[in-house]
Parts: sequence; structure tokens; C-alpha cells
Amino acid sequence: MSTPASQVVRAALSPRDTPESSDRRAELAEIDASTSGTVLLFFVAGMVWLLIGTVFALLASYKLHAPDFLNQYAWLTFGRIRTAHLNAVIYGFSAEVAVGVVLWLMCRLCRVPLMAQSVINAAAVFWNVGLTLGIGGILAGDTTGVEYLEMPKYATPILFLAFALIAVWTIVIFRFRREKHLYVSQWYILAAVLWFPWLYSTAQLLLVLEPARGTVQTAVNWWFGHNVLGLWFTPVGLAAIYYFLPKVIGRPIHSYYLSVLGFWTLALFYNWNGFHHLVGGPFPAWMITVSIVASVMMIIPVVSTAINHHFTMVGQFGKLKYSPTLRFIVFGAVSYTISSLQGVLSSVRWFSEVAHFTHHTVAHAHWGMYAFFTMTMFGSMYYILPRITQREWPSERLISLHFWCTAVGIILYVAPLSYGGWLQGKAMMDATTPFLEVVKITLPWLKFRTLTGLLLAVGHLAFFANLIWILARRFGPYRQPEPMILASVTPTVPIGK
Amino acid sequence: MGIISFILIGSSLVFPAVALWALWWAGRNGQLTHADKASLLPFDEQEPVGVMTDVVLNRPAIPAAMRRVQP
Amino acid sequence: MNYGPLLFLGILLTLAGSWFGLVLTPNRQLGDLQPNVNTNTAAVYPQPLPGEASQGREIYRSMGCNYCHTQQVRPDGFGSDIQRGWGKRRSVARDYIYQKPVMLGSSRTGPDLTNIGERQPSYDWHLTHLYNPQTTSKGSIMPPYAFLFEKRKIGYEGASTNALKLSAEFAVEPGYEVVPKPEAMQLVEYLRSLKTSVDLPEAPLPKAE
Repeated sequence: MSTPASQVVRAALSPRDTPESSDRRAELAEIDASTSGTVLLFFVAGMVWLLIGTVFALLASYKLHAPDFLNQYAWLTFGRIRTAHLNAVIYGFSAEVAVGVVLWLMCRLCRVPLMAQSVINAAAVFWNVGLTLGIGGILAGDTTGVEYLEMPKYATPILFLAFALIAVWTIVIFRFRREKHLYVSQWYILAAVLWFPWLYSTAQLLLVLEPARGTVQTAVNWWFGHNVLGLWFTPVGLAAIYYFLPKVIGRPIHSYYLSVLGFWTLALFYNWNGFHHLVGGPFPAWMITVSIVASVMMIIPVVSTAINHHFTMVGQFGKLKYSPTLRFIVFGAVSYTISSLQGVLSSVRWFSEVAHFTHHTVAHAHWGMYAFFTMTMFGSMYYILPRITQREWPSERLISLHFWCTAVGIILYVAPLSYGGWLQGKAMMDATTPFLEVVKITLPWLKFRTLTGLLLAVGHLAFFANLIWILARRFGPYRQPEPMILASVTPTVPIGK
Repeated sequence: MGIISFILIGSSLVFPAVALWALWWAGRNGQLTHADKASLLPFDEQEPVGVMTDVVLNRPAIPAAMRRVQP
Repeated sequence: MNYGPLLFLGILLTLAGSWFGLVLTPNRQLGDLQPNVNTNTAAVYPQPLPGEASQGREIYRSMGCNYCHTQQVRPDGFGSDIQRGWGKRRSVARDYIYQKPVMLGSSRTGPDLTNIGERQPSYDWHLTHLYNPQTTSKGSIMPPYAFLFEKRKIGYEGASTNALKLSAEFAVEPGYEVVPKPEAMQLVEYLRSLKTSVDLPEAPLPKAE
């Protein structure tokens, strides 16, 4: 490809290739390559836990409307399977993929290669060992009985060690950054890795190791539980959206100042939300009210983020056709707004009176953790994996299958079940309705939910297949380092504006 | 309750005061001027503003000779 | 916002806020609650669970019962907990001071159990219900806990005294009986111990009309 004509064509198409930009490109290639092994470790482990967690999920969902299914042994009982599901998808899939995304983004935005990968890789190994012990322990009956912290004492110190190592490493990357200016995503990531170890250690101390007296445990429990969502997963998800959305469409985020406002109001208000899980519970009213107020105040960061995302995307929706990352990220961003507003509504007393303790809460949890967080992580993986494996996705069909199964599946899960939970709550409010009647009302919604779970499972398998396939290609013949834009991917003619 | 009220009331006065001071300091220090430039950080010369970077599905037909290939 | 230390400060201060407000403060306000001594009867409430019931509580925890059952009665007028007979008064912090862990629960797939020991004290009911919830509650989605029971051949001395009395629909084949294992008995002792209808200064029982 070196005829004079092709050279002219190439020069015309790539006017921006200067020695400096080539250096920059080489630097980014080096950084991406340095993260690749570690990020792959977290992504693959995370996806394995997703598959395991999906199996537990399907079992748990089915058992709720077919209680006689698989009950011969204690380790198969619903109370343990559901708990195993929760821990596998939260501390297995969600958290591990989150760390992969965090490390890749931080290295890229700080323009620093990942140093001493062996330490982080060791952390990944500890983490998975700890998880296996923990989830095995739950199935064996050693659950602590504390929601979101069920893994027994013999597993959690290993996990904490892994979390601490990762947090320290991320801060070290930040400390040695070569890029002076900070991007939105870096604030969120820094915040997440500083907050999580504090949350986890306090919760382990006051709930599992030296349990506090009575309902003080519950207070700590829900301070922790809600903050895992609000101060760990949400910032990581937002960091991903704030990076990938502008990056894919080629347009900077609409308002930097809105993102500053969004960040600090999230930091200020989100961590006070915890007690909205305890409305009507055995607590002084002032504590509950504080959390309800903080929950309502969350409208500020949620709406400012939504405005920012919307005005960045406006006019660019045609690009959804081309980029799987964009599809998942936009889906996640919209779901963030909706699930957060659902959360605000749920915390208000008149709504909570009806919907508390119902399947509405389960639907809301999945609206946030799946429709927002998981979909955002899928989008992030679609962007990152080709760039760290230096390969393209082998199968477009599997990508489409993954997207449509999960997008349709999760909408069909969360919206109907939210409504079904509301109906359940209304029925429970009426003291003349016998409890078994209330149960009967929930059955069709629970059965439907199991079906949507099958759809999600198909999506997960499709992605896992593509993941194994892209990795298998990686172990092929030696490849040249390639720039960030893969050959034959980006037309230099801008698509839309 | 005595010492805890002291700590609580004290910190609920001190924390916002520190926060407001930090905000004032940030303004003084120039943290908030031209901050919009930071929104350009994800972009560079080869993946600039205006160019989509993740065309994976439904790729428009561009002849191989015309696609961007780097050595 | 490029200055690392400033970010650091803000990040730590914001979480410190709720750490004070939602962790430390409840610890101070509720952490030293003592059982109440009734001025008339000198009865002390609450009390730590006796041995068998305390073992049963471990089984409750280990089986994940708290994922379908709550143990908190909401105030009168907020939800219909009291109208449903789930308690005579709302639950308060003092009810939980001896519990490790506190299992308030967050889901009512099944009914609230705060006062199940008052509502349903029968050993037979609980044992047959645990063995197969359909025997007492047709249409229930609670799973059976048959593994807490042992099906065995009836000995030559005849049926055991604690064998379950199952109706025709659920009975085992002739010559066999179902007896509860110790775990089942412990769990039932725990459930029978769940009673909170005691007058407290902060939550008096409603006066009889």
C-alpha cells in the first residue's frame, strides 16, 4: 500500500497524524497494554460470577412460585440460594468488572501505565478465593444473617485485603499522574475507592466482628447497604458513562459545571439515604426523616446528570446503530435517571407505607443494579476489550443478541414487577385480605419474572461466548502494537455532527 | 449525651464551614475558571471532537484502501 | 477541579458527615439501651433467649428465613401490621437489644413473625408447617424443610410420641413415620419464643376497651 496514489489518499484522510500525535498514540497503546492482563483477569472472573449468579437467580426466582423444586438439601433452600445469588452478582460480577473498568479508566485518564501488575493480579486472586469461600459458606449455612454482608468471617478478611490493595493502587496511579487536569470520571473513581474500604471496614467491625447492641446494627447495616450502591457502584457507573458517552459520539459532555454540581451534591446527599430502608421501623423518627429528606435531595444530582447526558446525546441518537458501547451506556444512563427517581419516590412515607417489604423493592434494586449498573458495565467492556486484546469482536450477531435480550429482558423484569409489588402492597394494606390471598396476587408477576430471567441468561451466554472467542483469538500469532483506532474501524469521515 | 451533642453540633458547624471555605479557595485558586476545557480531556488529535470512535456494528461500506491503517 | 488534596478533603468530609449522623449517633442514642423493669410486676423485658431457642435462632439465620419474613411491627396507622394481628404495639429499639444479629428483615413474602409465639404457640402446627407448609397453609410459597425431619421405619414399639400427625394427603407410607430432628425442635422453640406484647414506657400496650 505504498503507491503514490494511495499515499495521497492516506495523507488526505489522515491530516492529523503528526509526530506528537503518534507519540501520544504510542503512549496510549503502551498504557492500554499495561492494563490488559489485569483488566482481563477481572473481566473474565466477573463474567464467570455473572453466569454462576444467573444460575442462582433463575433457581431462586423459580422456587418462589414453585416452592417444592429442589428442596431435598439444606444448601438448596431458597434462603441460601437467593443469598448466594446476591453475593455472586454484587461482590463477584458487579464489583470485579467495576474494578477492571476503574483501573483501565484511571490509567488512561491519568496517562500512567499500570505499575506492578502482579500485586493487583494477586488481589484479584485473593478476591476470587475469598468469594468462593464466602459463597460456599453461605450455601453451607454459615451466613452471617446480615443483609449484603452475608459472607462468613473466614472469607471477608481476604476480600477486604483485595479491596484495600486495589484502593491503594488506584490512589497511587492518581498520585503519579502525568495528566495535570482532572476529568469528571476521575473524581468519581477516586471517591469510590476512598469510600468503599471505609464503608466495608465499619460495617464488618460493627456488624460481624463486634456486633453493636440491637438496632444500632441495623443502622450500620443500611448505612453500609445503601452506600455500597450509592457511593461505590453509582460513582463507577457514572464515571464510565461520563467517559464513554462523549468518547464514542465524539462530542464533549454538555456542561462541565453541571457535572461539578452533580458530583458534589451526590457526595453530600447520597450517603445520608441509608435509613430510607427503615421507614416505619423501630427507630427514632428523626433518623428516618433525615434519610427521607436526603433521598428527596438526590433529585438534584440525578436531574443535573440527566440533563448533562441528554444534551450531550441530543441529535446523536443515530450513532446507536453503530456502537454496542453506546447502546448499553445510553440504556444505562436513562435507567440511572428512572431508577433513581423511583428510589426517591419509594423513600417518601406515603409510598413506603404500601411498597415497603414487597417485590417492588426487588424490582427497584434490579432497576438500579442491572438496568443502570450492569448495562453500563457491559457497554464499558465492549469498548475496553478490543483495545486491550487488540482484536475486534468476532461476532456482531452475538453482540446484537446480547443487547436485545438484556435490554428487553430487564425492562420486562423491572417494570411489571414494580407494578406487581405495588399491587401486593395495596393488598397487604387491607387487613381483611388474608395473607395467602396476597401471596396469590404476586404469583403471575413472579412467574413472569422467571421468564424474563431466562431472556437475561441468554444475553449473558451470548456475551460470554463472544468474550471467550475474542480471547481465544488473542493467543494467536504475534501481533504488532496497534493504535487506539483499530484498523478498518473508524471511517475518517465523521458520521453526523 | 453531652459529649456527643458537642461533637455533633460542633461538626455540623465545622464541616459546612470547611466546605464553604474550600469552595472559596477553589474559586480563588482558579480551579473553576476555564474549567470547561477539562471536558475535552477524552479527546486527542487522532480521536478528536467530531469523530465517532466505536463503529463496530452495521459498518458503512468503506473500501479497505480508504480505511485508516496505522503502521 | 484539578486539585487532588481538595478532592480528597471533600470526599472524606462528605462521608464523615453520615458516619457521624447515621453510625455514631445511633450508637450513642441507642447503644446503651437496657432492658425495662416493670414497676408493678418486676418483670424484666427483654431477656436473652434460653438455650434451645437460641440454637433455633441460629437455624433461622442459617436457613435465610429473614429474607421472606420480617420481625418488625410498624406503628398503628402506618400500614396494617397491627390490624392484621401481627402485634399489639409497634416494635421499638429496646425489643432488639439482645439480638445478634438483628434480623428485622426487608421483605414480606411471608408474614411478619415478631409475635408469632403469641399468635401460634402450637408445637404441632409449627412442626407440620415446617415439614410441608402446604399442610397448614394451602397455596403457600414457603419451601418445605423436610430435611429438618427424619423419615424412618416405625419401630416395634409403635409410633414415636413426637411423630408428626399428617393428614392423608401428606402422610408417608404405612410403616413409616416422620420425626423432627433436634434442629427442627430448636427452630420451633425459637419461633414460640417470639413474643413482644409487653408494656414499655416508650411503647405502652393499648388499653383494653
